[in-house]
Amino acid sequence: MALPKRIIKETERLVAEPVPGIQAIPHDDNLRYFDVSIHGPAQSPYEGGVFKLELFLPEDYPMTPPKIRFLTKIYHPNIDRLGRICLDVLKANWSPALQIRTILLSIQALLGAPNPDDPLANDVAQRWKEDEPGAIATAREWTQTHAAP
Amino acid sequence: MSAKVPRNFRLLEELEKGEKGQGSDACSLGLDDGNDIMMTNWNGTILGPPHSVHENRIYSVKLHCDEQYPDVPPTVQFLSRINLPCVDPTKLQCLGNWKREYTMETVLLELRRFMASGNNKKLPQPPEGSTF
Repeated sequence: MALPKRIIKETERLVAEPVPGIQAIPHDDNLRYFDVSIHGPAQSPYEGGVFKLELFLPEDYPMTPPKIRFLTKIYHPNIDRLGRICLDVLKANWSPALQIRTILLSIQALLGAPNPDDPLANDVAQRWKEDEPGAIATAREWTQTHAAP
Repeated sequence: MSAKVPRNFRLLEELEKGEKGQGSDACSLGLDDGNDIMMTNWNGTILGPPHSVHENRIYSVKLHCDEQYPDVPPTVQFLSRINLPCVDPTKLQCLGNWKREYTMETVLLELRRFMASGNNKKLPQPPEGSTF
């Protein structure tokens, strides 16, 4: 199977120079499919949690963005019940100049800066706007319950 | 060789096709439990094919996609009672020649085609709306 050079290079760099708090390891039997873990950022309700994600580079990557979702349950206004993520750089604002590494950093940043005005999980976003301390407390509880390292 | 879409992303594609209304009008599909991150169990419906005893009937089925899907086909079970040769009485055995490119929609449409074929379109059917 011929894997594009671009993907090989990105993978090598992810291994050689890992991003702090982020790990991405390709599956042996599918080098376009990665097991990812992201540490919740400090000073966020996700601090102390390790979140598992899966990432797939479609056939026409990097012309189209990677597909990525959370496997760990998370209480966040921009992440839905199936772990799908609402993030501009994964959709309309994707550019082939972006990489796996930049996308994972954007997701880590999204954990530190939830955006209830552009929600994917409507019930969570509404709670975030009406009762932010309550929503943050729930996000902390879920982190302890589901994302314990 | 083309990229091999992993199970979970394949199932998300199938889900999103339904959510966006891009699926066939002759069948429908949805997750049994919207919180099931592994997307294992699905509910489907098949609109009975025209010019057959099944016309205007809506058949409910359950589909189960295990960890090997789509390398292996989903298992399918009719919830609505139906008289069809491969339904025994609730397990389905007419899904031979599975290919990885096939989807759950392929299965539902193939069943619908089977309902409309040959003698099957004339078989006497249990009362409409009865379930196994």
